[in-house]
Amino acid sequence: MAEVILDRVNKQYENGFHAVKDLDLDIADGEFLVLVGPSGCGKSTALRMVAGLEDITSGTLKIGDRVVNTLSPRDRDIAMVFQSYALYPHMTVADNISYGLKIRRMEKAEIDRRVKKAAEMLELGALLDRRPKQLSGGQRQRVAMGRAIVREPQVFLMDEPLSNLDAKLRVQMRAEIAQVQHDLNVTTIYVTHDQTEAMTMGDRVALMKAGVLQQVGNPQFLYDNPDNIFVAGFIGSPPMNMALAQVERDGDDLVVVLGRSRLPLPAAARSERPGLDAYAGRQVAVGIRSEDMEDARLVRGADERSRLRATVSLIEALGSQIMVHFLLDAPRVVTEDTKLLDKDAHAEEAPKHDATKFVASFAPRSRVRAGDEVEVVVDTERMHFFDPTTGDAIR
Amino acid sequence: MAATDTLPATTGDETVVRLGGAQGGWFRQVGWRHLVGLLALAFSLFPILFVVSAAVNPLGTLSSSELVPTGASFENFRKLFVDTAFPTWFLNSMVIGLLAAALSMFVSACAAFAFSRYRFRGRRAGLLGILLVQMFPQFLLIVALYIMFAYVSDLWPAVGFNTRTGLLLLYLGGALGTNTWLMKGFFDTIPKDLDESAKVDGATHAQVFFGLILPLVTPILAVTGLLGFISAVNEFLIASVFLTDDDAKTAAVGLYGLVSEERNNNFGVFAAGALVLAVPTVALFQFLQRYIVGGLTAGAVKG
Ligand SMILES: Nc1ncnc2c1ncn2[C@@H]1O[C@H](COP(=O)(O)OP(=O)(O)OP(=O)(O)O)[C@@H](O)[C@H]1O
Ligand SMILES: [Mg+2]
Repeated sequence: MAEVILDRVNKQYENGFHAVKDLDLDIADGEFLVLVGPSGCGKSTALRMVAGLEDITSGTLKIGDRVVNTLSPRDRDIAMVFQSYALYPHMTVADNISYGLKIRRMEKAEIDRRVKKAAEMLELGALLDRRPKQLSGGQRQRVAMGRAIVREPQVFLMDEPLSNLDAKLRVQMRAEIAQVQHDLNVTTIYVTHDQTEAMTMGDRVALMKAGVLQQVGNPQFLYDNPDNIFVAGFIGSPPMNMALAQVERDGDDLVVVLGRSRLPLPAAARSERPGLDAYAGRQVAVGIRSEDMEDARLVRGADERSRLRATVSLIEALGSQIMVHFLLDAPRVVTEDTKLLDKDAHAEEAPKHDATKFVASFAPRSRVRAGDEVEVVVDTERMHFFDPTTGDAIR
Repeated sequence: MAATDTLPATTGDETVVRLGGAQGGWFRQVGWRHLVGLLALAFSLFPILFVVSAAVNPLGTLSSSELVPTGASFENFRKLFVDTAFPTWFLNSMVIGLLAAALSMFVSACAAFAFSRYRFRGRRAGLLGILLVQMFPQFLLIVALYIMFAYVSDLWPAVGFNTRTGLLLLYLGGALGTNTWLMKGFFDTIPKDLDESAKVDGATHAQVFFGLILPLVTPILAVTGLLGFISAVNEFLIASVFLTDDDAKTAAVGLYGLVSEERNNNFGVFAAGALVLAVPTVALFQFLQRYIVGGLTAGAVKG
């Protein structure tokens, strides 16, 4: 087991494309780091550089206390799980799992012990004599995991190992992989473009965009304190609601003019974000998580002013909560980041420029229906603010 | 799908619908295939029948009017093995054919692996180059080769005229281009993830090639091996120029010598020789065809 350190690592492909830019990452011994980002942002490239399958154009990569920049994959003491599983089709499951050990001329008894242990861990015992083509997708996935586990490497590398599975199996394997990693306590870099996997599996999450690292941290921290609009929009499902608003002074206080509403900014929220004062009289991008909004009729003594008024366009009852869609009469935030996020989510264009789709999560006691006029209470202490031109969080 | 002739008989129940009438339906769905098959079979067996007929005809003529000639015997085979140097020719053909097949298979596989898996300067040029070289007309080639080998024979007789090694070298060079292209196409269908996975598992280039790729490309190995053997055994033009000593001749050259001098007379022996020569080819095909199967990479990757 070892730590992995990337120091200003760059990757420029032969055709000149700069896929990873100045990537700095310190991954602690035994940590589960999830590398996440939209398609084409360079996650796989970064992982493959750690694996030694791509050359590092510049920067240093350390595994343990060795600089491994020029070492071949076989000398790096890593194991990798591929998106396609890449099982050896002419070998049985047992041979697939033990291939890496045999090639390193390990003793037969030790190989058998490790294969048996891995098979037990992954419930592959009954399948050891089968060929890959006789396995289901989930079983193949387990074999690929088994092949990595028996190596007992310093680092696990996984490139979207679950993306070929159906939704239900994905949830199950997600937990299993996290469990296995936890039991073995092996440093792991896990690549995915699925923010749910990132949130649920990682000790820490590293979010990339177009080859540049945006923010690293504990998943909950990223969720609560996004550094910029991109992180805010990517982490969390449904994504953070965002609209343009005006910050104005009201005596000593600040109010946020969001559409027709004037939301007062509580002192606590303001002292947390001293930078906001400088935006008085200017436009900002306001972000509100759906769970920070509630049906006004359910909140006793809610501030009359901290409310949004809109017509409900759609209701999604999930049992534990109700997702309420409505159009807010405030302009949309449009930056490069939001365009990229929309593209990644395959979201359709919002209908009007001066209106923004919002999704609020109400308690199931709420009886709102589609078409109702609704008053939405906003937890103003938990609002997020971003500079609408740079996209950076205002703190 | 069940063929119509195996449908259960109607039980008188009105709801059972039969597909077409009994005889007409069978012919339209299955029968015509038999007919086409029989025609194709007759078409290809006809010349073989003639060769067999000539081989057992003691008169040694091709213009016999009977399919089973009067006094049919194995006399021609006896003459072939006793009166001519055919056993030597046959051995020469087998040695050259098998070696050419095996070596060209291996060399082409190595080249194809490199072209398929590695990116290096001159890769495209190399691929195009070996294809262009193939286009060179063989008749022109022979002139050049003749001059080259005239010198080689003087300096290093072991690979000069009238040696198996020399001819083998020529055959290897000749087959390399086509085989490499054929194999590269097949290698490209093997997912690169497999190589990479093996490399991470600790395999060297050689281990990837022999342990992983070769087992997965056996169909194309079998095909190129078979084609290499057939073309080497049947090759006449170059061999006839290079092999003039009776002992060095391949079967193709030797048999041609039998009929080139006195027309017609030795055709019985020639036909017998042709039949004997066909045996190893058929045997090799029977042996290799089990390797010519699809779906070897099934289950390797999903996506
Ligand atoms: N061999 C290559 N030559 C040139 N550009 C490449 C090469 N491989 C990848 N790229 C480019 O580098 C960028 C990053 O690719 P990468 O495979 O790392 O993306 P990713 O984040 O893993 O995306 P996905 O989620 O779709 O797998 C992409 O824009 C891709 O087009
Ligand atoms: Mg990828």
